[in-house]
Amino acid sequence: MASHFSGVLQLTDLDDFITPSQECVKPVKVEKKQGKSVAKIQIEDDGSYFQVKQDGKLQKLEKAKITLNDCLACSGCITSAESVLITQQSQDELYRVLRQNKENNSKQVVVVSVSPQSRASLAARFNLSSTDAGRRLTAFFKNLGVHHVFDTGFSRTFSLLESQREFVERFRRSEQDKKSLPMLASACPGWICYAEKTHGDFVLPYISTTRSPQQVMGSLVKTYFAEQQGLTPQQIYHVAVMPCYDKKLEASRPDFYITQSDTREVDCVITSGVSELERTQSACTGGSPDAAWSCLCDRRFSSVCGNELMRHEGSGSGGYLHHIYTYAAKQLFGIDAKDISYKTLKNKDFQEVTLEKDGAVLLRFAATYGFRNIQNLVQKLKRGKSPYHFVEVMACPSGCLNGGGQIRPLPDQSNKDLLQKVEELYRAERPLEPEDDEHVTGLYDTWLRSVGEDRARELLHTRYHAVEKADSGLTIKW
Amino acid sequence: MSGSTRLENANPLIFERSLERVVTAEEEDESLADPIDDREIFDLIRSINDPEHPLSLEELNVVEQVRVRVNDPESAVSVEFTPTIPHCSMATLIGLSIKVKLLRSLPHRFKIDVHITPGTHASEEAVNKQLADKERVAAALENSQLLEVVNQCLSSRTA
Amino acid sequence: MKDSLTALCKLSGHPDSRCWFVAWNPSGTLLASCGGDRAVRVWGREGDSWVCKSVLQDGHQRTVRKVTWSPCGNYLASASFDATACIWRKKDDDFECVTVLEGHENEVKCVAWAPSGSLLATCSRDKSVWVWEVDEEDEYECVSVVNAHTQDVKHVTWHPTQELLASASYDNTVRLYQEEDDDWVCKATLEGHTSTVWSLAFDASGQRLASCSDDRTVKIWRECLPGNEPGTDTVGSDLSWKCICTLSGFHSRTIYDVAWCRLTGALATACGDDGVRVFREDPTSDPMQPTFFLSVHMPKAHSQDVNCIAWNTKEAGLLASCSDDGEIIIWHYQSEA
Repeated sequence: MASHFSGVLQLTDLDDFITPSQECVKPVKVEKKQGKSVAKIQIEDDGSYFQVKQDGKLQKLEKAKITLNDCLACSGCITSAESVLITQQSQDELYRVLRQNKENNSKQVVVVSVSPQSRASLAARFNLSSTDAGRRLTAFFKNLGVHHVFDTGFSRTFSLLESQREFVERFRRSEQDKKSLPMLASACPGWICYAEKTHGDFVLPYISTTRSPQQVMGSLVKTYFAEQQGLTPQQIYHVAVMPCYDKKLEASRPDFYITQSDTREVDCVITSGVSELERTQSACTGGSPDAAWSCLCDRRFSSVCGNELMRHEGSGSGGYLHHIYTYAAKQLFGIDAKDISYKTLKNKDFQEVTLEKDGAVLLRFAATYGFRNIQNLVQKLKRGKSPYHFVEVMACPSGCLNGGGQIRPLPDQSNKDLLQKVEELYRAERPLEPEDDEHVTGLYDTWLRSVGEDRARELLHTRYHAVEKADSGLTIKW
Repeated sequence: MSGSTRLENANPLIFERSLERVVTAEEEDESLADPIDDREIFDLIRSINDPEHPLSLEELNVVEQVRVRVNDPESAVSVEFTPTIPHCSMATLIGLSIKVKLLRSLPHRFKIDVHITPGTHASEEAVNKQLADKERVAAALENSQLLEVVNQCLSSRTA
Repeated sequence: MKDSLTALCKLSGHPDSRCWFVAWNPSGTLLASCGGDRAVRVWGREGDSWVCKSVLQDGHQRTVRKVTWSPCGNYLASASFDATACIWRKKDDDFECVTVLEGHENEVKCVAWAPSGSLLATCSRDKSVWVWEVDEEDEYECVSVVNAHTQDVKHVTWHPTQELLASASYDNTVRLYQEEDDDWVCKATLEGHTSTVWSLAFDASGQRLASCSDDRTVKIWRECLPGNEPGTDTVGSDLSWKCICTLSGFHSRTIYDVAWCRLTGALATACGDDGVRVFREDPTSDPMQPTFFLSVHMPKAHSQDVNCIAWNTKEAGLLASCSDDGEIIIWHYQSEA
């Protein structure tokens, strides 16, 4: 079974591609029942286990189950999590919920949040504009019975605003706090997972606490939106469409689980390239968009202007470097840094941007994508030789537009050509300055102010946890 | 399967221990060359503790004397062991313990091969390959946590 | 006169431990060795004997698995089970550790310098092969991490003149890599061995590659230039290499190392049956289907497994081997040809 996770995650896998049932090292708790001294277990031809009771009757034994959370908390393999993911987070789950909605009276409100990168990927496959792809995707989901379709470009505006403020705050205290800089971007879950498993307490303090767009949307949907609709969080089923498999891991983090209502902020993540979505082909290539096709997406949580979806400036990975750089230049040094020139270092996935005044470097930012560049960055940090104030770190070479969940090239297409097309389509949307989104500003003034500062922080930020290395000799892979 | 949380095979069949070896007069005669035989090898490994159960490999029938082959003139020892269940995740660890016991006990001239009894484990080939890889074994024995577990398997039982 | 192999000198290289690997420096005057005692030793000739010139300690926390010289001869690189590689700079007779290359998840099995001296490759049980670039200030940066193998990578070696990298693995394959668009990519997979491939050696021209394996065979692979002969053994590749010869039936246990003398073309092997063997190519055989014959077999060359064999870079016939018994032996090989 080939793995879909980003290269970083595959590398932290110490094991072979294994299935959890056989080689997983995670200890499983078994309820010990009293009063049984002898057990006889029979193994059937299909591999299922039956306990033979004293009266000769057979009782099927349950297989030990390992959840995604177990995998996240374990220092062992990670790719084996994939077979767990397939059951917990697949389009089948979405269809199951939609089917239940049709069959029963107890309805769950189904919300789908689509990432701009997924839009661009579908647009490239079906020769549409990104906005049109979003429009048709919305129609497709609504047709299936989805109630609301949102755009994670909207929640990304929050992520960018929070990242900007966090950076300036960290920059100002960098004299006293050696671990405040460089600030490392937090939007990429592959990078976060690698950092937690491999570099733990050393690197985690550098990582921005700002939530990724997916998880800001989680806050918005399961708290604000739920309240507005008079729903409990578990009455909403929230699906994210992402360019990346690692986003499934992110959605499963305990930090994004609402304990009191026993639900996740994002219940299910499906990827742009997921085969089922490609069924939208018929929808996407159909004739001229009639009324049903022309619904853009719900304006409640979407970056739209007129009839167009909007994007953010900067990289296709969210533009964190761009936005933090321009904001910090203005806030810290009063400089309008509109023209940003990226200098390519070792390779195309390691780029640098500097803000200089009178020959002195005021700000030095970098974008480092892919595992090799992450390595060099971490080693530089360890040696105290990192010259950077902020680094936009992404696990995939070329960043999120090239995510592992994006639609693969057609047989006659090179990945390079496809990626270029996706980038062009992504950039063809008009940019929106985060500060200019009145809808977001409004939510800061009303919703976030009303919940108080601490709660607002919880809704927009998160925490990281170093993973302890396996401590039992019995479980060590050699 | 750390500690007491779970035993993979909670109720294994238990086998009788064999009698102690009878030392012959020739063997006690230091002047005679005394080739190493199957029984001597078996005696080295039969008391190895199972990583999970408070039982020896002999008591679990994981090792048997008939599955030990020694060729002293050729300096070759081959041992087959039989995991208690075909999906036993402890198989590599048991094999490693047998290998380490023999490496530590026999003269260095011996080539020691440890295999799973054919047809008794789901990952037989993979386990055999790993046990035969001396680089992997050497690296494993430099891992203090793993070494501790192996040493526990090799320690004489106090009970 | 018959072909012969004579032991010139026995060195207690890594006493009470294993000696894993030996490597001659480019000028053939020094021999570096490494082992289970976590040390690297450098040996030099004094009169008829070889003496230990320096001991490199405190660089590694665990076994030093391989050691190699830079093409200029001024640096040593060592690969260790402690998941790092160290770069040592020669200073008179002494060496100082200038860089520790970190990043591999677990045991680093091998390290090798490209002929230019500006690139270095490492490989590990973590299944990856890394390519590092060195600048003038002895700073190393990772330029690529290639996850082509599906298992433990045992060995890496460079083509003698080109920037072509080869690796051998527990997954039974050999892979070849080249740079493409500022990254390194696997360009060929050589399939044929039926168990772990332990080591590799290019011949002097770099047109042929020898691999040795736990399957007790040595295979010789040859580069097939485009449009040449049909039927190659490489799959899904841009480079095509074909197995042109298999030496089987000569070895009775795992073959841990193979060395191709760049001066004489003789092929030597280090075997888990304690033996050292030297093969020569029949000069009358078809270069596309060569036959190699066993020139010398030294059974019980060491008292335990032979781990490594290395031809001296300058003096034809001078050969070094080392063993699990901790000993290094310097041999003289002579052939009637």
